[in-house]
Amino acid sequence: MTREKLQSLSLVLIGVIAFGLPLLVRSPTYLHILVLLFLYAYLTTSWNLVGGFAGVLPLGHSTFVGIGAYTSTVLALQYGVSPWIGMIIGGGLAVIVGVLIGLPTFKMRGAYFALATIAFAEGIRVMVENIEYLGPFKLNGPRGLQIPPLNTGLANFMFAEKEPYYYIILVMLIAVLALTYFISRSKLGYYLSAGGEEPEAAMALGVNVARCKLIAMAMSSFLTALAGTFWAQFTLFIHPKSVMSLDISFEIAFIALIGGRGSIAGPVLGAIILRPVSDLCRIYFGDKLPGLHLIIFGVLLIVVMIFQPRGLQEPLTKLYNRFLDRFAAQPDRIR
Amino acid sequence: MLYVLEDTINGILIGSIYGLTALGLTVIFGVLKVINFAHGSLLMVGMYTAYWAVVLTGIHPYLALIIVAPVMYFFGYYLQNIIIKPIFKAEKDVREPITVIIVTTGVWYVLDNLSLLIFGPQYRTLQDNPLRGKMLEFAGMMLSIPKFWGFVIAIVTAAAVYWFFQKTRMGRAIRATSLDRESASLMGINQYRIYNVAFGIGTAIAGIAGVTLVPFYNVFPSVGVLFDIKGFIIVVLGGLGSIGGAILGGIIVGVIESVGPQFMAATWTEAIVYGLFLMVLFVKPSGLFGVKYDW
Repeated sequence: MTREKLQSLSLVLIGVIAFGLPLLVRSPTYLHILVLLFLYAYLTTSWNLVGGFAGVLPLGHSTFVGIGAYTSTVLALQYGVSPWIGMIIGGGLAVIVGVLIGLPTFKMRGAYFALATIAFAEGIRVMVENIEYLGPFKLNGPRGLQIPPLNTGLANFMFAEKEPYYYIILVMLIAVLALTYFISRSKLGYYLSAGGEEPEAAMALGVNVARCKLIAMAMSSFLTALAGTFWAQFTLFIHPKSVMSLDISFEIAFIALIGGRGSIAGPVLGAIILRPVSDLCRIYFGDKLPGLHLIIFGVLLIVVMIFQPRGLQEPLTKLYNRFLDRFAAQPDRIR
Repeated sequence: MLYVLEDTINGILIGSIYGLTALGLTVIFGVLKVINFAHGSLLMVGMYTAYWAVVLTGIHPYLALIIVAPVMYFFGYYLQNIIIKPIFKAEKDVREPITVIIVTTGVWYVLDNLSLLIFGPQYRTLQDNPLRGKMLEFAGMMLSIPKFWGFVIAIVTAAAVYWFFQKTRMGRAIRATSLDRESASLMGINQYRIYNVAFGIGTAIAGIAGVTLVPFYNVFPSVGVLFDIKGFIIVVLGGLGSIGGAILGGIIVGVIESVGPQFMAATWTEAIVYGLFLMVLFVKPSGLFGVKYDW
């Protein structure tokens, strides 16, 4: 068996496991954890387009989650628009906001950029908390919006069971991973990483770094907003402190950094490592040891940054490659 | 009219305390070129240290400074020495190492949640302390006495830090390192020791801020988060690395927060502060009072 075949075989195997998992995991609690795992893997992969490839550290992506969640929910509640359509509209809105945020902030240096994105995100959250009606649209201020679970079904993006949500977010995750794969091998991807690592050198070679970053930001905010709609439909209750909180932005960044930003596998690995820690800690130690999962996050982050600054994907990729080499070199052994 | 004046004065008092909480942030940034995301958590540690110092020994809340400042200095010194230094060594030639920001975020999460584990989520206030709720009547206006003393402590601390950096041998070494760490190293300055000292000083200032807050503020594990984002805004407003700018930036934020509610819903003032912050970032990233080159 050749190396390529083995590689695609392992990918197919992972896919089969991912699609078959709900057949084994029947408990709604664990399915819920899995859905959140994929949701965060998706969010982090979208974040990675800016935070990884473009080499900056955005800490305000919860804004786009919020925009996606609020747009589809307001349209569905007040005008009866299907959340699927609201999802796309929310994505469009997020692109506008993302570009408006990106235009001035991408000129800033490292830490200033991170602070500016925090200020934007927090400013928008405070505004949403203070607005009852935005023109004709009812946002309901700090009380948030509740989606009555009346009409379940695919058209309404609402289900009584967890399985449909699982498959939707899984498909979304696979799509965004494929997109990331193609971008990382496209001209844009190379421009982005060149601009992220050596902006002066890239500009000297004629790369329009600012424009590339804006394109990445637009894509990232669009994709993040889609996840916002999913979040709203999954939890059926949104308020500014839930979908627009800084905690989401930081958790996304944590997952990316521990998994390895700028790589394709990193965000997924990070989510696989961190999300179960977070949920299981809350289930089993939530009453006796509150905040345990955040201590683990913090320690993991510090340790990974000191010993593996490129994230945990690096040693794992090495391991995977060694595995590939070994079995591709001795094809008899695999049969 | 008198109300506006009273609010302005109260805004200046609380604002100078905000400035004091941000002063350590600006000192650390000035030298290490790193935004310390854990600064709010250091403030929280300072507040708990002050709280326990007062509760366990029964001394006057401001006398706790004698205990808190040195304890916090060594806490910061070793935090930098053990956790942050290895990354500086790994990223020697980066001027603003972003990895360090990330690590300080990790420190933030660990400290906040450790204190949640150890002390629990409840709000603690100093019982029977001589300053609680004391008011000073001045020309028909009511001013809070602990906030007034906070103002005095903030000004004295800022002046002392300024004097230390300008006049002492160690202060000059720190300034040299902040301007150019390679040249400073060539002059025989141990840059990593300077970093430790600067981080220690920044942390000690956070401890002093904690002492001034404890007499009138609640102590709880996530108290730092409230001052964290505010601190970033203040130091950028005032100019990162500028000592006077931190206090003035704090006063600006304090005045907006206390005068604003006369004219609008109190929650909107927060949005105004963020807006002002972003405007300064776009128009003059070096801040209102900062110089173009740090220090």
